[in-house]
Amino acid sequence: MIPGKYRSVSGRAANNVNCGLHLVIQTSPLPEKNKVRFKKVEFKLNKDTSSFPGRLLQHDLERNYSSRQGDHINLVSSSLSSFPILQRSSEEKILYSDRLSLERQKLTVCPIINGEDHLRLLNFQHNFITRIQNISNLQKLISLDLYDNQIEEISGLSTLRCLRVLLLGKNRIKKISNLENLKSLDVLDLHGNQITKIENINHLCELRVLNLARNFLSHVDNLNGLDSLTELNLRHNQITFVRDVDNLPCLQHLFLSFNNISSFDSVSCLADSSSLSDITFDGNPIAQESWYKHTVLQNMMQLRQLDMKRITEEERRMASVLAKKEEEKKRESHKQSLLKEKKRLTINNVARQWDLQQQRVANIATNEDRKDSDSPQDPCQIDGSTLSAFPEETGPLDSGLNNALQGLSVVDTYLVEVDGDTLSLYGSGALESLDRNWSVQTAGMITTVSFTFIEFDEIVQVLPKLKIKFPNSLHLKFKETNLVMLQQFNALAQLRRIDQLTIDPQGNPVVNFTLWKYYVLFRLSHFSMQKINGTEVTQNDMIMAERLFGILAHVASSELPQYRLISILGDARKKQFRYLLESKGKKPGIINEENNDSKRLVGENTNRATLNYTTRDFYNEKLEEIKEKKKFCKTYIEDLVKEATEINMKNEALQKLWPQMFIELVRDAVIEIRNKNSYMKLCLQQITDQK
Amino acid sequence: ALSPRLECNAQRHVLTYMEDAVCQLLENREDISQYGIARFFTEYFNSVCQGTHILFREFSFVQATPHNRVSFLRAFWRCFRTVGKNGDLLTMKEYHCLLQLLCPDFPLELTQKAARIVLMDDAMDCLMSFSDFLFAFQIQFYYSEFLDSVAAIYENLLSGKNPNTVIVPTSSSGQHRQRPALGEAGMLEGVEASLFYQCLENLCDRHKYSCPPPALVKEALSNVQRLTFYGFLMALSKHHGINQALGALPDKGDLMHDPAMDEELERLLAQVPGLVNSVTASPEASCLPSRTPPRVGSPWRPLHHSRKVDGESDGSTEETDESET
Repeated sequence: MIPGKYRSVSGRAANNVNCGLHLVIQTSPLPEKNKVRFKKVEFKLNKDTSSFPGRLLQHDLERNYSSRQGDHINLVSSSLSSFPILQRSSEEKILYSDRLSLERQKLTVCPIINGEDHLRLLNFQHNFITRIQNISNLQKLISLDLYDNQIEEISGLSTLRCLRVLLLGKNRIKKISNLENLKSLDVLDLHGNQITKIENINHLCELRVLNLARNFLSHVDNLNGLDSLTELNLRHNQITFVRDVDNLPCLQHLFLSFNNISSFDSVSCLADSSSLSDITFDGNPIAQESWYKHTVLQNMMQLRQLDMKRITEEERRMASVLAKKEEEKKRESHKQSLLKEKKRLTINNVARQWDLQQQRVANIATNEDRKDSDSPQDPCQIDGSTLSAFPEETGPLDSGLNNALQGLSVVDTYLVEVDGDTLSLYGSGALESLDRNWSVQTAGMITTVSFTFIEFDEIVQVLPKLKIKFPNSLHLKFKETNLVMLQQFNALAQLRRIDQLTIDPQGNPVVNFTLWKYYVLFRLSHFSMQKINGTEVTQNDMIMAERLFGILAHVASSELPQYRLISILGDARKKQFRYLLESKGKKPGIINEENNDSKRLVGENTNRATLNYTTRDFYNEKLEEIKEKKKFCKTYIEDLVKEATEINMKNEALQKLWPQMFIELVRDAVIEIRNKNSYMKLCLQQITDQK
Repeated sequence: ALSPRLECNAQRHVLTYMEDAVCQLLENREDISQYGIARFFTEYFNSVCQGTHILFREFSFVQATPHNRVSFLRAFWRCFRTVGKNGDLLTMKEYHCLLQLLCPDFPLELTQKAARIVLMDDAMDCLMSFSDFLFAFQIQFYYSEFLDSVAAIYENLLSGKNPNTVIVPTSSSGQHRQRPALGEAGMLEGVEASLFYQCLENLCDRHKYSCPPPALVKEALSNVQRLTFYGFLMALSKHHGINQALGALPDKGDLMHDPAMDEELERLLAQVPGLVNSVTASPEASCLPSRTPPRVGSPWRPLHHSRKVDGESDGSTEETDESET
């Protein structure tokens, strides 16, 4: 029976002043293992310096003696063995038959203790003992205190089958071992050692308190079998994850302060422990996170105390609210990442198509005459089977995500993206999107248009649409658009205005030319561009451009015969009108505006207006058309020539023959008139015959 | 007095121009009909004389006659002399680009061949100077058919087959070296110069396309004993006499000089926007009076009406020579 005044309720070590070490002092057989009772006693080894039994003894002593017990002990060194032999006066032996304190005796080894086989409490605190020895005879020992020594290995305890309290704090123990026979162990204190692994304790089914603070543990597992454990102290280790705690049916107090836990996942087993009510995480990285408190509370509904503070209802409520918000955020970001992934896959798809197209072109160009077939026949269709090649490009993906996206990517061969003020088009299919009904607001906001993986020649054809639908687009970007000739820049002249031009070297060989920037500045001088490829355009640049190509412009305007000027400009105008004529039916109002616009077009730097760009396809088409005409002209001229030569021949022949003919004519006439009379008769005859 | 063959050539070319004129007429019927057909023909043949008829025309027309080729070479020189003057060294591809500015479907092949002459068939990505390229290009473009035949002859000679074995002239056997044995030919580079020249002479006689004057070719070969194909072409391109005979380009020393165009350029430079005013949203308004608008219905004449001669640019040559980068 435990006297009431000796019961302590809250269990703080400081309250142990009047509390006796009841289990030990009682001479009656050890009470039934009764959890409830033991809980009230509270062997709380909170502080690292847990010298509980020692202190108890101290107080005991103080009650009864004024001097330390140690004074009455004699250690006689024997010449026979290297161990000192302990001797006590028989008076003391009777008074303290069950306890012996050898605290601070400067012991380096355990002395041989003879004739004290009834000892129950043995105190070796604050010595220099390196090995546990010479105590195998003390088989009634219940508490052994070796706090603050130099013990490197747990050994020599195999006979102490009654041991209930083993205090080995502040030693040099590297491994938990040799505890097999200590099946009654109730308190095991190994704080302040060098232990790296929890092992060899699975048989300690009566262990209630385990202190492994200030060791070198990096993780917690292997705790099964500790069916009585209520308190586990793991402070000041290097623990990164915790397992097996849910296998401890009685665990109530778990101290994980000052470790290396950074996410709740690494201690997820705690959520499954129904007995845990008190836990500390302070000093871990996890405690710094914004979501720390409510995540812990959400996952461990059974908690009553966190980091030594009670958990209020209010806190719990807040925790659930916050947890819900986190869930929302996660879902949102998951959706975002799904979208991003889809975009990325689409772009990859487009890039792939582009590459194949380019390779095709290269093959055709090398096989056939370059002039004839530079344009690829059809854009290749990518079917689902090629998607299997994608995994190497997609990188690490959730398998769930991957599955969800498989279906999407096959269809998407182009991508249109509007991001604030930028319109991005990937793949030639995207050009059709310019036809969409863009809201005036959205379209008005677009200042940058970026083209990727689209043939420049195709872009040229939609430039008029761009001009109309996105009137504020001032910055054009081209990447992988096959810009190969300076001429192609001529096509940009038809736009209303460009402030900035970015030609990405990737996929645009024209950038390798030394003169490309100057040509752009020259041809598009009426735009007075601010920047090319991110660099400011300086006055010197403009001058250089003019200097290099000014004469070209001069030649192209004033030296061309008038009819050619007209026909070239006429062609350009016609192209402009083509698109407008198509949309004529829809919005008549715009036509007038466009008329004015193209009149202005003609007015634009006309000395270089003749520098046009016709896409290869159109050019070849035109040449084909001309072939017929040429043939006709050839035959026509040939006919003319034939006629002329015939006439000439006839003329020449006449020239040759004429003298002879003339002579003959004259001769005939003279012969006829030689005889006047017969000639007169002949004439008269002819006249009468005629009647 | 023209030899019958040349006369025939000339006649044929007149026909070419006639055909082309009629073709142009057909193509631009609507525009020209307002213009007047008589005026059209006048302009057309005037431009043929001036050498501007080949501007922005298709390649098949540009190479159709020797006169076209000369005109094209001259136009290229005039338009891009400034690039050369600036001292930029360009790659073959870039020169080809410039050619395409004047003739959109100019074949890359020809430019490549021209580049090979300059680079001696080596490292085709190398940079070339304007004058080197231009003179080599001239030879390649103007005499392309001739050069093709020469290449064939060269190949034959290299492999030891002499197409002229039958016609070895005995009179000049003194200067005529022993034909090298097959094995020997392999060890020495190129072919023997005088033998080569004889083949060329024969070629010139029979060739219906233009050839360089044989006497000048002989001159070009006079200094060497042996030569390679590209060495020969290089010699041709560097020969002043041949250049003059062609009549398209000035001498190498004068290649960068063209005072008339420089003057024109200065006037244009004076009108660079920014020098005058900061550009507003309607740049064409400020540019319109100073540029040459197409004037329909006026007699053909290069338009040199009043230009703003800015006080800043006197057209002083110092300004043009300075490279402003």
